[in-house]
Amino acid sequence: MSVLQRSNIDNVANPNDTASIPHTASPRTGAALESFVYDDDIVRKFLTVTVIWGIVAFLAGILIALQLVIPTVITYTTASGTRPFAFLEFLTNVQFLSFGRLRPLHTNAAIFAFAGNAIFAAIYYSTQRLCKARMWSDTLSRLHFWGWQVIIVCAALTLPLGYTQGKEYAELEWPIDLLIAVVWLGFFGVNFFMTLKRRRERHMYVALWFYAATIVTVTMLHVFNSLAIPAGWLKSYSVYAGVQDAMMQWWYGHNAVAFFLTTPFLGLMYYFMPKAAERPVFSYRLSIIHFWSLIFIYIWAGPHHLHYTALPAWASTLGMLFSVMLWMPSWGGGINGLLTLRGAWHKLTDDPVLKFFVVGVTFYMMSTFEGPMLAVKTVNMLSHYTDWTIAHVHGGALGWNGFLAFGMIYWLLPRLFQAPLHSKKLAEWHFWLGTLGILLYVIPIYCAGITQGLMWRAFDASGALKYPDFVETVTQLIPFYWFRVAGGLMYLIGALFMGYNFIRTWMARPAVYDAPVQTAPAMAPLHVSRPVFRSRLDSNTELGHKGDVFLQHVFHGWWHRAWEGTPYKFIAWSIVAVAAGSLLEIIPMFAIRSNVPSIASVQPYTPLELCGRDIYIAEGCYNCHSQMIRPIWSETKRYGDYSKPGEFVYDHPFQWGSRRIGPDLAREGGQRSNLWHALHLQDPRQSIQQSIMPAYPHLLTTSIDFDEIQTRIRAQAMIGVPYGEAVRDGVSQSLARAQAKVIADDIAKGDGPKGLEDKQIVALIAYLQRLGTDISKPPPTAAPQPAMAPANATQNTGRN
Amino acid sequence: MTPSMTDSLTHSGKPSTAPDGNLTGHIYDDIQEYDNPTPGWWHAIFVATIVFSIGYLLVWDVSIMGSSISEDWEGDQRAEFARIFGTVGALNHDQQTILAQTQNPQFMAMAKGLFIGNCAACHKRDGGGDVGVNLCDDSYKSVKHVEDLFRIITDGAAGGAMPAWKNRISDNERVVLAAYVASLRGTKPNGGKPPEGEVIAPWPAPSPNPTAPPSPANK
Repeated sequence: MSVLQRSNIDNVANPNDTASIPHTASPRTGAALESFVYDDDIVRKFLTVTVIWGIVAFLAGILIALQLVIPTVITYTTASGTRPFAFLEFLTNVQFLSFGRLRPLHTNAAIFAFAGNAIFAAIYYSTQRLCKARMWSDTLSRLHFWGWQVIIVCAALTLPLGYTQGKEYAELEWPIDLLIAVVWLGFFGVNFFMTLKRRRERHMYVALWFYAATIVTVTMLHVFNSLAIPAGWLKSYSVYAGVQDAMMQWWYGHNAVAFFLTTPFLGLMYYFMPKAAERPVFSYRLSIIHFWSLIFIYIWAGPHHLHYTALPAWASTLGMLFSVMLWMPSWGGGINGLLTLRGAWHKLTDDPVLKFFVVGVTFYMMSTFEGPMLAVKTVNMLSHYTDWTIAHVHGGALGWNGFLAFGMIYWLLPRLFQAPLHSKKLAEWHFWLGTLGILLYVIPIYCAGITQGLMWRAFDASGALKYPDFVETVTQLIPFYWFRVAGGLMYLIGALFMGYNFIRTWMARPAVYDAPVQTAPAMAPLHVSRPVFRSRLDSNTELGHKGDVFLQHVFHGWWHRAWEGTPYKFIAWSIVAVAAGSLLEIIPMFAIRSNVPSIASVQPYTPLELCGRDIYIAEGCYNCHSQMIRPIWSETKRYGDYSKPGEFVYDHPFQWGSRRIGPDLAREGGQRSNLWHALHLQDPRQSIQQSIMPAYPHLLTTSIDFDEIQTRIRAQAMIGVPYGEAVRDGVSQSLARAQAKVIADDIAKGDGPKGLEDKQIVALIAYLQRLGTDISKPPPTAAPQPAMAPANATQNTGRN
Repeated sequence: MTPSMTDSLTHSGKPSTAPDGNLTGHIYDDIQEYDNPTPGWWHAIFVATIVFSIGYLLVWDVSIMGSSISEDWEGDQRAEFARIFGTVGALNHDQQTILAQTQNPQFMAMAKGLFIGNCAACHKRDGGGDVGVNLCDDSYKSVKHVEDLFRIITDGAAGGAMPAWKNRISDNERVVLAAYVASLRGTKPNGGKPPEGEVIAPWPAPSPNPTAPPSPANK
């Protein structure tokens, strides 16, 4: 920081950005120039953690990929009867390492830690330059940085311990959720918007539109999807239930992809692509039309994650159609990125940055074609719950998000550390390893998804399912899963090369970073000339002439140029664009009663079943098991009658799942004996030799916290579950103990493990035995809470 | 694009051959923007997706031409029943009908699928028994006659250890499943569970004129 800077301390939030000190006269306009220094230290911070968390996220991915193949290895027995790989068993039976708990860790690390820090680095670097202003507050920048890292560490600690809200990509518990809201909007958002306010560039460049839309929309999504009632410091229940919770969750989940992994990365692309290519952006007009159509249409598309479920058909149709209409708005960004390279394609041969960008944008265009295709109901009928979705998201995440972040990192490294990149050759190696790694991952996983989808729906000539045993459809996928491990490893090795390159470049940095003083005139007043149009029509009514003039104004677009100069008006219209679709889908979902026809026989879970449900959520069972049977013939044949909306009215949160690595459990209740469940949970491979499910021996040794059940019942009652007398002190505990004893006795009687009456496994079994059974029970008679009666507990042990 | 063309674009400022010569005049941190028109094919596909969407909504969700997903499912259900049981109709669950089904290879193939999907978890794929009893020996718990197999599949037994399947498997399917279980008797799978319950008399021979004649499902 120069002496000049220190002397210019004024009464503004940031002493390094001294807006009011005249420096020298601008040669062009004669206006006074102001001087300021960009804060590149914060960008260095975000860039460093991007690399670290990226490697962590890829490692977690490889770990969980291994967990899907390791179970087939540990059971391998040689001719002499030894099991050479048995030592790997810890990957399948240590509770903190189970797939269900680590998969959320992988997704959260990839999305919020790796991609999140990458977009923060991009935004902090480019916003300052596009605004010709230092970030408004150095303090808020640092609070944002450290706050976000604390959130990531909290996630890394709580998720393996089983603290989760049980909603995909929104797993973190309520205290962390609150911290996210404060850091995102209070620190990051305020800092960004105040920087916009203090900018010296009149008009906002397209990258800033995307950043602004990202900040407001992610706030909206995060706050409304995470609304929950706490039941302790690290436990809460979603205020929404069943169908409505599903609707909110996928409105959030889909738009997390839209506004966390798409719009900020498009902003990143719009800044760094023309910078790296040294070419003008292909089309300003395309930027305008694709920005507005993208943010308006994207927000509607969430229900395509719920085709053929108990979601009302109208919502499903809207989700599909808006996804189809989203194709060109998405591609608008892709072609604007790729065509920016017109005239610079030759640079690709010796610039790894551009290589990463071009392949990244290409993956973006493939994913955004595939997305609308998968959203078409009939395609989704095959692809849903299969690995097809997994391949789709990894094309997007590894190709688009990963490669754009890598390209940006290589472009920024020499500029931020003020030393040449240590090895361009290593960067080239990273590029090729990464590209081949992605292909080696996604192509086999596409094959796996389509294979499993086709196997699930295959019938033989007699009318029976061709593969009635679910595990057959899993065993078939294991070779593909090995390819995934190999592809993921290549991608990780590439990222490790980048880490090494990063460290070596950093080591070559100067003793003191040069922080050049920038100068720019203060922001000019808004000057957009409003053209005068005359009606082009020969003879018409007054209204006709006015209409023609209006249309000419619309298509001329001068008004948009004016908006770009007034950020608050621009942001207000962005909010309107994203709120429109949200409100038009969500309000009818909550307001119209016929969306969820009630079923009289559906009753709340008993206290023990609720406790078991919490274990189901904590173990992350929803990561592999769905609880939603679709009205598809092959599916009802395999799992029983299709799920009805009224069956889920007490499900806070819903647990429909999105992937069937294991079979659907919506009608698991009463299908198998308590003993079978106990033995199967203890070691799935005892019951089903080819099973790849983790073992849960700790459920047989960990005690149920009966006192906690009372707190949880009360929390459920607060969000409207009719628990009646069960909320009174001690009632839930005694009901739970009585039901637990019945199940434990039943298991012991069948020569199963003894003394389970206070162990978590009986609670989980109680819950599993309840699943999907209410619908075929007679409706309750007079008693207000028949589900509470201990007699019912006996009934729920399997005879429904 | 050949290298020579790209060179002419980058070095000669505004080449006359370049379609994207018009800059907007906007400069942000040295980034400029062309004022190129949006591609025609882009507009065409965008409009086509909008037209398709309006049409789809009108046909499938507004007009009476569309059918709901649950109606489609019910149609599938009727078609499958007609295809498989069309010639026999609803099967009784008496001894003769059940035993007669053991002679129908089509039904036994279907029942094997049902058995693997629903019963094998506890009784093993070959019926040798695991958590559930061995179904291949001559000893049975709560079964005296063939029709008891149907009853137990329907309503369950042993206090829920054997679940009830009446809400999950259709009447006809439970009849052929009972027949399949009856046919397992006398097979000797490897590693079968020791006998439980009591030895009962062998099943009667299937009647030569069963009430529901065996017939191939596909005509």
